[in-house]
Amino acid sequence: MKRERLAYAVVIIGLLMTIFVALMSGVDFYSPAEVWGAVTGQNNTAFNTVMMFRLPRILAALICGGMLSVAGAFSQSVFRNQLADPSILGMTSAGDFFILIGGLLLPNFPFQKAILAVLGGVIVLHILARPASIRQPLRLIIVGVALNLTFVGFQQVLTSGTVGLGGQSFNGITWQSTLTLLGVGTLGLIAALVVAPWANYLKLGDQQLAGVGVPVTAMRWWLLALVIYLTCGVTAVIGTIPFMGIVIPNIGRRVVGHDYQTLIPFSMLSGAWLLLIADTVGRLVVLPSELAAASIMTVIGGPFLVIMLQRGAIHGIKAS
Amino acid sequence: MELKRVSYSYPGGQPLINEFTASIPETGILAIIGPNGAGKSTILNLLSGELTPTSGQVLLNGTPVSEMSTKARANQIAVVRQHNEVYDDLAVKDVVKMGRLAFHSLFSVVSDSEVAPFLEQTHLTDLADRQLSELSGGQQQRVWIAMALAQEPAVLLLDEPTTYLDIRYQVDLMNLVVQLQQEKQIAVIMVLHDMNQAFRVSHRIWLIKAGQLVKQGSPETLLDSALLSQTFDFPVRVVDVADYGRYVIQMPSGQETDNLRKLI
Repeated sequence: MKRERLAYAVVIIGLLMTIFVALMSGVDFYSPAEVWGAVTGQNNTAFNTVMMFRLPRILAALICGGMLSVAGAFSQSVFRNQLADPSILGMTSAGDFFILIGGLLLPNFPFQKAILAVLGGVIVLHILARPASIRQPLRLIIVGVALNLTFVGFQQVLTSGTVGLGGQSFNGITWQSTLTLLGVGTLGLIAALVVAPWANYLKLGDQQLAGVGVPVTAMRWWLLALVIYLTCGVTAVIGTIPFMGIVIPNIGRRVVGHDYQTLIPFSMLSGAWLLLIADTVGRLVVLPSELAAASIMTVIGGPFLVIMLQRGAIHGIKAS
Repeated sequence: MELKRVSYSYPGGQPLINEFTASIPETGILAIIGPNGAGKSTILNLLSGELTPTSGQVLLNGTPVSEMSTKARANQIAVVRQHNEVYDDLAVKDVVKMGRLAFHSLFSVVSDSEVAPFLEQTHLTDLADRQLSELSGGQQQRVWIAMALAQEPAVLLLDEPTTYLDIRYQVDLMNLVVQLQQEKQIAVIMVLHDMNQAFRVSHRIWLIKAGQLVKQGSPETLLDSALLSQTFDFPVRVVDVADYGRYVIQMPSGQETDNLRKLI
């Protein structure tokens, strides 16, 4: 309990400090007083940069970080596999691919990005979600990685190699896109808090759950629907940001334990924090140019995944 | 509960259970014994409603078990399995809370106090906040029993509950089952590998072989060397042990063994 509270305190304080640093820093550096002036509308030069560019970008990174981390945690619960992150399984790159095609064929179709992102996610899930994948964790991950590479490859074919992993960024995001993300994300995250106990239930075998009267299959599909909603919400607006859903929940298990009722809210906050750090670092390291948050996450997430695999995480989440 | 001419076979396969008819009293301990492959676990799965009979009916208070909703079944019948799948880790009290889902919606939150009595009855109160992976096999088995009790079932089914336990935990667990049955006056049905355990704790025994009931009755009526030797295809003898009672042992060689072998 004490450890949990400490973890939450660290994350919340870190989050607030990072938000403030992100508001201050960039090509033009503003002092705290100038940022305050911009927020209250008294400093006109800073207002434009801080309120029209930095703030929507920060909010977008925060909500996307929360959404992707929570999607990862639920996906791991449904697949009973602690490496089952939507970006590793190819759900997001399939979404990117369909959005790319949609952009070429139907550029003016309403909601096309959202629809196509979901279509990509559903197709990948349809290929992956079968009993054998749950019984054989290794197979799930290998098929998922292969699907991911396939869809990245397709995108490269269509764009003559200019699109690759890690191209997506929050650069230049508009208030409109940010508000869409905030609306979609908030709804999804509220739903996530409500159904967090279901992820705990899925720790027991299907037979046992049926024995206590739980409709296991329906529960699993609802959770997968939430995973798609959260993941594709981000993919439709930003594109693939890899590894969030694997890094955060697995650190969370170490820090606050395996109870999803604590792990889900913790993942929201720490995921928001991590993605904001990634985006802010990307914005600042190569001024006046910048690195995409997705590239930073690839650099962090890749080695993290390798270390987890080396430690034998592939055997699924097995306790006894 | 009642089984009426129940048969079960996998599609295209040999019948595992063949025209099985028997009834189970509302209260008491029933043990099912028989050789490997006799269909003991299949009977248990038919009683729990996990398997649907190919023909015949399994009835609970007159209703076919396979036609009840999973929720309605969970209110009446609880199962403690031989093998329990657990992915990830969870606290003892959270496992027991899942048993309460038989009464609540998926959106409700079960309080600690609601599961306290079931933890108490299975002597798990001190372990309530421990993770399942930290417990011994015997303690884990008690957790599964606590979860089953939390369903407040009229019928409790246990599939070889003592298999992986050493003798001390075996005895502890059997004593617990006996005590719980007396307190709650429910029907307990156990598949047991160890005949002597079955004879010691149960009020009634089904001796089954090749999917059929060979004989049912009180332990005394089934403690018969010839009957058991024939059913298990192996010479055994019922002996009297001082301070214990009658006990089934593997037969030493000798004249009587040869006679029993002729029977097999």
